[in-house]
Order: sequence, then structure tokens, then C-alpha cells
Amino acid sequence: MPRGYVSRMEPTAVESLVAQKESKLIDWVRDHRSIMIGYSGGVDSTYLAVIVRQTLGRDRTLAVLGRSASVPSELAASAERVAVEHDIPVQVIDTSEVADPRYAANPVNRCYFCKSVLWETLVPMARALGFHAVVDGTNADDVAEYRPGAEAAREHGIESPLAEVGLTKSEIRQLSLGHALPTWSQPSAPCLASRIPYGTAVTVERLGQVEHAERALRALGIEGDVRVRHHGDLARVELGATVVDRWLEPEHAARLVAAVRGAGFGRVTLDLRGFRSGSLNVLEGIVAA
Amino acid sequence: MTHPLEDRLRDAGIACRVERRDRLAILIPDNAAMDFGRESRLQALQMAREEGFSHVSVELDPDGAPLPRT
Repeated sequence: MPRGYVSRMEPTAVESLVAQKESKLIDWVRDHRSIMIGYSGGVDSTYLAVIVRQTLGRDRTLAVLGRSASVPSELAASAERVAVEHDIPVQVIDTSEVADPRYAANPVNRCYFCKSVLWETLVPMARALGFHAVVDGTNADDVAEYRPGAEAAREHGIESPLAEVGLTKSEIRQLSLGHALPTWSQPSAPCLASRIPYGTAVTVERLGQVEHAERALRALGIEGDVRVRHHGDLARVELGATVVDRWLEPEHAARLVAAVRGAGFGRVTLDLRGFRSGSLNVLEGIVAA
Repeated sequence: MTHPLEDRLRDAGIACRVERRDRLAILIPDNAAMDFGRESRLQALQMAREEGFSHVSVELDPDGAPLPRT
């Protein structure tokens, strides 16, 4: 081979690093013998559930999916379907975080109360069923973000193997693609309560409005990130930055307004910058813009 | 008394009222034609940031009629 020539069949250094991380993940899973996964159907927990299933087998794997008004019904249905398609044992439980006044008050650390409710259910369940570990889909990128739910996970002894082996979101997407998982390109999907500003009560009605509006926008053919932020009488729609200009055009704007007003909002606005993860954290000054 | 952002936007040819909700600026177009093409959008974002807003949103016509455009 000429000097400097790299065979196209050889993995790149990045691909090798990612493969090594997956290998470490598999070792981690094997060491923990039987695992219950806090499963949401998102990119991370789906990939993790597949690895656990492939490594430990059906009898030592259980994905538990929490269902509530905070979770879009389509996402919950899709999560169940993907689990069944990949032969992952899945159990759906109804969580009632909206009924918890500490959660419903929608404080800055709302996620702490939501995750506490979830883990307070799963940990005893895991113990009763004889599972060795309870895990979540936290990844290496999440560690640097503002995540009050992580404190609840720590308090309940929940482990985060994806973060532990250093897998980032983009690497998990890459590995998911390699495993032919439909979630590899799925947009991030935080719970619907993330659309409601802190201090404004989380109610089943408001969650339903947001879910209805976002579903209606997707039905218009809008792909990628879509968020309808609930500002009382007013909806602030965040779309991917590359499509904002298109939806400001008169004929498209009219359709967008009709879709969102159909969900019960009196006024419809379009965010000029576009989607930002943690947008309400920025608005409240919790994190820098 | 109008917000300084509103004055700056009008001077730049972006005719709208500004409704302030903490760090969110809601731009409400006048009936006069207003171009909200990419350049105007980026200009509005920049001005709003300079005036201390973290978010800027433009209100779309509540009757579902087209947004005023030049």
C-alpha cells in the first residue's frame, strides 16, 4: 500500500472509539446480570433497551414505560410498538405526577418531583421482581445540562450506563442507525410540561392543548423540532431555524395559525429565532441565552 | 410610551407594536405592509437582544389572514 493510504474498509478512528464505547456498555450490562430500564421510547433509552435485551436475553430484561398526561400519546404508543418489534419485554405503568401538587406547581426543579414519582414506583418493582439494577437513558451530553431529575435518580440509586461509558447523543444516534433502530433520527422529545413556563401550573388541560397543537403542526408536514410554548392566552411556536422563514410566508402562516388556534389558543406567535432546547430555562434566566 | 425596541424597529422599517412579557418581546404588525423576510427577521432578533430580550416572537394574524408583506 502506498504510504498515507488508508483502506476505505478500515474503520475511522472515530468509528473505532464509538465501537469501543459500545463494547464497554455491553460489558457493563453483562456485569449487572438483570436490568430494568426506565424506558421512554426516546433515542437513548431505546438504544439502551436493545443492548440490554441482546446481551442478557428476554428473561433478564424489562423496559418500563411511564404513561401520563405529560407524555404525548403518540410517543407512548410508538415506544410500545418499537419494544415489541425488538422483542423487548415492556410494561406500561400509569404515573400520576400531575396529581402531585409539588409537580403541578411547576417549580424550576419540577423534573425532580416527576422522576421521584417514577423511581419510587420502579425501584420497589425491580426489587420484587429480582432485577439487579434499574437504569435510565441519561447520556454523556446530559451530564453538563441543567437536569433536576438527575438528583432524583441519584437518590434512588438509578444507574446511567450510557453516560458512564461516555456515549454522547450523536454517537447513540450513530449506533442506533447501525442497529437499524427507527429512533436513530427521532427528534428529542422532552415531556409536554416543558412547554409551560415555570410558575404556571401544569394541568391536564394545558398539557392537552400543547399536545393537540403540536400534533396539528406535524399534520401540516412540519418535520424536525416543533414546540408550542404555552403563555396562557398565547402560543409561541418554535420550529427548526431553517424553516422559520417559510412559515412566515403568508400562505403558510395562515395554515399554522389555524392549526394552533384549533387547539384552543387565542393568539398565535412564531418565534423568530426558532427552536431552542431548554428555551423556557433561557427565558426565565436559569441558563444563559 | 413605546418601548425603545419598537422605536428602533420602526426606524428600520419594521412597523409593529412591541408587547413586552418579561424577556419575551411579542411583535404585533401594524396593518401597514411589513416585510418579514430573512433580513428583517435577523435584524429584529439582533435589536431585541440588544434591548435585553431573550426571545422574540411575531404575532400571526388572528383571523388567519396572511401576514402583511411588502
